[in-house]
Amino acid sequence: MKSQKRKDAFAKLTGKCRFLDDYTVPDMLQGYIIYTTIDRGWIRKINFPAGFDLQEFTIVSASDIPGKNIVPEPVNDQPFMTSEVVDNFGQVILGIAHPNREILKKFISLTRIEYERRNAVTDTKECLDNEANQFGEIMHLKHELAPTYNLRHLWKWQQIFYTQHQEQAYLEPQGMLAEYNIEKEEMKITGTMQCPFFVKDAVESIMGKAVKNVVIETSEGIGGAFGGKEDFPNLLAGVTALLAWKAQKPVKIVLDRKDDLLITTNRHPSRVDIIAIMHDQNGFISKIDIDYRLDAGAFQTLSPVVLHRGILHATGGYNIAEVKIKGSLHRSNTPPNGAFRGFGAPQAIFAMESFIDNVAHRLSISPLRLRQLNLLKTGDQLPTSQIVTENHLQDCLDRVVQLSGYKKKFTDFQEYNKTNTVKKGIGLALGLHGGGYTGNGEKVLQSRVKIVLEKNGMVNIYVANVEMGQGAHTTLAQMVNSIFKLPPEKVNVVIPNTSQTPNSGPTVASRTIYVVGNLLQKLAERIKSELGFADLKDHIAKNQNSFPQSFEEVFVPDPADDFDDITNQGVAYHDFSWAACVVEITYDPDLYQIRVDKCWNVLDVGKVINEGIALGQVYGGVVQALGWALTENIYKKGYPRLSGFTDYTLPASLDIPEIKVEFIHTNSPVAKGLGEIPMDYPAPAVRNAFLQATGIMINELPLTPERIFAAQGRSKK
Amino acid sequence: MIELKFTVNSEEVAITVAENLRLLDILRDELHLTGTKEGCAVGECGACTVILNGEAVCSCMVLACQVQDAVIETIENCDTDPVLQILQQAFLECGAVQCGFCTPGMLLSAKALLLRNPAPTEAEIKKALEGNLCRCTGYIQITEAVKQAARELAESK
Repeated sequence: MKSQKRKDAFAKLTGKCRFLDDYTVPDMLQGYIIYTTIDRGWIRKINFPAGFDLQEFTIVSASDIPGKNIVPEPVNDQPFMTSEVVDNFGQVILGIAHPNREILKKFISLTRIEYERRNAVTDTKECLDNEANQFGEIMHLKHELAPTYNLRHLWKWQQIFYTQHQEQAYLEPQGMLAEYNIEKEEMKITGTMQCPFFVKDAVESIMGKAVKNVVIETSEGIGGAFGGKEDFPNLLAGVTALLAWKAQKPVKIVLDRKDDLLITTNRHPSRVDIIAIMHDQNGFISKIDIDYRLDAGAFQTLSPVVLHRGILHATGGYNIAEVKIKGSLHRSNTPPNGAFRGFGAPQAIFAMESFIDNVAHRLSISPLRLRQLNLLKTGDQLPTSQIVTENHLQDCLDRVVQLSGYKKKFTDFQEYNKTNTVKKGIGLALGLHGGGYTGNGEKVLQSRVKIVLEKNGMVNIYVANVEMGQGAHTTLAQMVNSIFKLPPEKVNVVIPNTSQTPNSGPTVASRTIYVVGNLLQKLAERIKSELGFADLKDHIAKNQNSFPQSFEEVFVPDPADDFDDITNQGVAYHDFSWAACVVEITYDPDLYQIRVDKCWNVLDVGKVINEGIALGQVYGGVVQALGWALTENIYKKGYPRLSGFTDYTLPASLDIPEIKVEFIHTNSPVAKGLGEIPMDYPAPAVRNAFLQATGIMINELPLTPERIFAAQGRSKK
Repeated sequence: MIELKFTVNSEEVAITVAENLRLLDILRDELHLTGTKEGCAVGECGACTVILNGEAVCSCMVLACQVQDAVIETIENCDTDPVLQILQQAFLECGAVQCGFCTPGMLLSAKALLLRNPAPTEAEIKKALEGNLCRCTGYIQITEAVKQAARELAESK
């Protein structure tokens, strides 16, 4: 079956699609920011350079803020701008605007900030190993079924896993355009963002009563986001709005790549301490105790939500009778970490999947056998007591083992490695990802969507969810049109604008198709039955006077989905997507270098609406995960800061292995979450393949030659 | 200031600009050809790739004086250029477009490859695109698209 072509592709292929930097409006000023360049301390003095006419510049600082100097987030603790106390590198001190970009950049580069420094925590392990750095609320998840082990035959094993920061590295840097209409007292923001209504809250917060109305619209093109444009745009939009209000002229800020890398949110570094108890070393895990920690950076912002998803995915795809999970945030002096595809789950799954292989290695059981022993099956309970109702993880595992020839290769490689210097390895990993907001999130959000049937026969869809490359606007239109059955070009998603789009929630959490898409489809079905048409085009043509007609629908979760936020018991996610992966690698011990040769992915994401788009999500997610596994590293202690894509090394075309993807159980009536799950499992699969190839257990990412060199030294001693 | 004469997308341009402008600035700010994107400004990401005298280059790394008498091709040439059009169609059919920010540069790197090597192997395609970063697609569908375009070009000749 051929997939429907993307609606946005033509504009993007001709260069006509406008990204934020392609917007210019009359009288527009160029804006930029000056940010803190120490990790912790105090700002003592700001020295502007001589030889510039300060009258030409608009400059804003925290003292210009008419509203609140707090970015609205799940935890309201981060200021938009700081004037004295420095809690992290990259805090905005000033917003500056000037008609000429070159003069602006020169002025900024010559401005000197004097600081008084204090001791700072910037190293991930220094942050996460020390309980004194813990801040925010500690989360607990406990689940105890009857003990399955005999106390006399216990085998207990503990391992600690670490993962590093990861930069989203969307190709289009962060950017905002603010236009202030003095007569209407209206602030209009156009920007590259995932969550227009979050940005609206932020601009209303910083502007307070100084503006009457705030309107947010996304740029036509959003050049990638991956979570990176979930919360940082709130801050940038706030500062840009403040500049436009003070200058009484439009202001556009587009970050330079280096600044974008240095100061915007990243994936949270993690430390996951796992203690498991097994009965008689037979590989059956009876009890597990997980201490899951995230380095939040200097402020909590949305980190509690990441932490929550992390603990809810911490036991992975395994059925364990006794589970005790503790989740905590730790404070460092790096910029606040934020959303990134997977949202706490990749860190949890890396630890659990690596742990499983370590146990298998230690007990000389095959990693496949160990997984089969402990795998979640229909009727089993998740740690939240939620009952698993489908056996699809087992099906994913069986299929990926078959497709990849895992069993034969596992033994073949063991033989091969006995006589060859260059090693071969094969690794397994499982993934699961809950669709939509965690726990009661969707209940609170109450997403609303709107469909307008126009007089001219067009169908316009109004949702707040953005097209950031993932193909959402094509897929959503397809879902609506599966009911209306019009030519595809007649059904379109309108660019989100908070003055006309209902709030269907943020573009996050694998929820756009799963929550918003299924809601739209429900609305389309309702429209069809209310209007009673057989052919919509015909119906509109014959009843011109009744159109345009607008319809809305609100998301109501399944009333049976009860979740207790305190005990973390209940239904945290109505549906899970499942996946299994096999990775094949070659390891060159002279270069300490891993090359990924092949990667097989079998996923159950329910119904697949657009296969081409769905495949693109998996390929892209897998490659991001491979980057996280092998090369992507934000150096901290003892290293200079990043300067760009030379020292932050993203996978390029030459690094890409053969990637095979198969979707199973696609005859499901429901399209489940897809965006994040491909990020969850490939990194541990690579790491497990390296363990199979070398027998070296490395419990940290990324697997750079430097780290392998050090580990090899340790294992020889 | 420097007086420049060069050709962009078969049109002759005569323009006086500051010496420190990059080709990227000339294209975007002076000629309003905004299909060429700035992703990093230091030649690392390839989003600003254009074809300069037959070679794919990062236009952020080319200074104004270097384009004197040059022949330049940008994504805007796709309105009339058959090779770009075949590439575009292949990108569309293979699902090689996601966010679209790397797409114009990717297309021009692919075209420059096909100009000097009409029947590239998969390895040659990957090599030709190694300077164009894409964070969305994992490059799989892009590589497929260039293969398909090469096949179609061969058939159309």
